[in-house]
Amino acid sequence: MVRKIKDWLEVRIGLAEIIRTQLTGYMVPGNINLFYTLGFVALAAFFSQVATGFFLLIYYLPHSEYAFRSVQDIMSRVPYGWLFRMMHAVGSNLMVATVVLHMLSVSYMGSYKKPRELTWVAGAFMLFVTLTFCLSGYLLPWSQLSYWATTIVTSIPAAIPYAGDMIAGTLRGGEMVSGATLNRFFAIHVILLPLLLIFLFGIHLFLVRRIGVSSPPFGRTAPRWRPGTSFRHEDHPDGHPFYPYFVQREMMMVFLYFAAMFFIIAFLPTLFSPDDANTPADPFRTPAHIKPEWYFLPFYQLLKLIPNKLLGIGIQALLAALFIFWPFIDTREEDNILKRPRLLALFAAVVVSWVILTVWGRYS
Amino acid sequence: MDRRRVLKSLLVLLGSALSVSLIYPLVRYLAPPSGAEQGGKVTIKKSEVEVGSSKDIVVRNIPAIVINTPEKGFIALSKVCTHLGCLVQYEKSKNRLLCPCHGGVYNLEGTVISGPPPKPLQKFAVKVEGDSVVIG
Ligand code: HEM
Ligand code: FES
Repeated sequence: MVRKIKDWLEVRIGLAEIIRTQLTGYMVPGNINLFYTLGFVALAAFFSQVATGFFLLIYYLPHSEYAFRSVQDIMSRVPYGWLFRMMHAVGSNLMVATVVLHMLSVSYMGSYKKPRELTWVAGAFMLFVTLTFCLSGYLLPWSQLSYWATTIVTSIPAAIPYAGDMIAGTLRGGEMVSGATLNRFFAIHVILLPLLLIFLFGIHLFLVRRIGVSSPPFGRTAPRWRPGTSFRHEDHPDGHPFYPYFVQREMMMVFLYFAAMFFIIAFLPTLFSPDDANTPADPFRTPAHIKPEWYFLPFYQLLKLIPNKLLGIGIQALLAALFIFWPFIDTREEDNILKRPRLLALFAAVVVSWVILTVWGRYS
Repeated sequence: MDRRRVLKSLLVLLGSALSVSLIYPLVRYLAPPSGAEQGGKVTIKKSEVEVGSSKDIVVRNIPAIVINTPEKGFIALSKVCTHLGCLVQYEKSKNRLLCPCHGGVYNLEGTVISGPPPKPLQKFAVKVEGDSVVIG
């Protein structure tokens, strides 16, 4: 049966050649490591969000009068609704974590260097899209937490001179966060961002395949491949086959991802949902200690530390620009970070201040 | 059995267990909520429906019609045509129910007179208590 289908496809689309050039004969570097699977895990995480998001949409009502009730119903009435909601909510946190780890690993492997600058830029935008996913999704359950976290975030642009109020107003669809904001965020969350992410991913993957996988600077056996002045695909003739060698490792990491997800759902179900997440939104009462999600804490704390709001936003914008265009700033050819102590110190400093700002933001 | 075969069947076993534990919740999740269709009698006043006239009601989420016939008193029928689900209309002058979609015709008993519908309209029990009518 399988044989027959294969033969049928072989005649029509040359299946064997696709398998040979794209899977079994497509070679990845011999010293490739597990960190290289993180991009694939991030993709799997996104698909899990799409699937569970679709199931949630079947019962979720995007209206300020019904949203909270409908999410409570998904949690307690609809059979197994809790499962899909928890997969989506916990998954959003894990997806951010995965994307960040992926980004850290390409930083430490120096994979963003020539000729892969554009791959990095596309990836940077994908991180922003992922964070915007979380921001917009956070409002949808219309809880106290949703409402006030969104109020805070949408006030940030108001500090921009001249255009600030207009930007804040457009985001909110009015003076205050209201049902109009919910409808806007809902449309962004379920249509705009998924399309945008898929589009960016298309570019990202095209570049990865076209340029070839970078060989990690650690444990190299072959001499280092150097980009020249004209285009050349980086191949690894004596590396490992993508399928089955690398796909197996990717699948293992995907299972690890879901193991982490179900561990949290089973043993730490309240990790990402404080009490205010279970109280309906009340525009006339701000709860005490409203804190953003962990992945926004460093930005939040940085904004708090800088007394002038405009300066705070300016610095964040500058940091974002540095991040997006990093490959154009660090243009040194050496890709082994162990041979670049100052770069190593810089990366370490960024990670350490990130952690400090997170902890500080959480407990201040 | 060699090692490869054992590992392969283990993988199949695990894979099936995994699929079942995802598909079962999903089927339950997507199944229409049970219980919503039970119970629910509808009570109306006799004076609301004069002899020869009718009133639209909803019984257990089904659109229905109460007709006060001169011959048989109150009757209650589902309006959902048994052909393809359009809603039938009461034609007072002809003493019949007509489906606008493909011309199915029923008499006031709900029996098919002509057209494509395969079975009679669903009937609801009617009880007259004092000056109210209880349907369902
Ligand atoms: C096409 C894809 C997606 C669809 C259709 C979708 C749909 C939804 C819906 C209907 C909700 C509201 C119900 C609820 O709160 O559980 C929601 C919440 C949420 N979504 Fe998504 N979503 C998608 C992708 C994503 C992605 C990629 C992320 C982030 C990585 C994300 C992050 C969130 C977050 C943080 C919430 C709030 C969770 C909570 O506290 O309940 N979503 N989404
Ligand atoms: S649906 Fe009523 S006759 Fe076809």
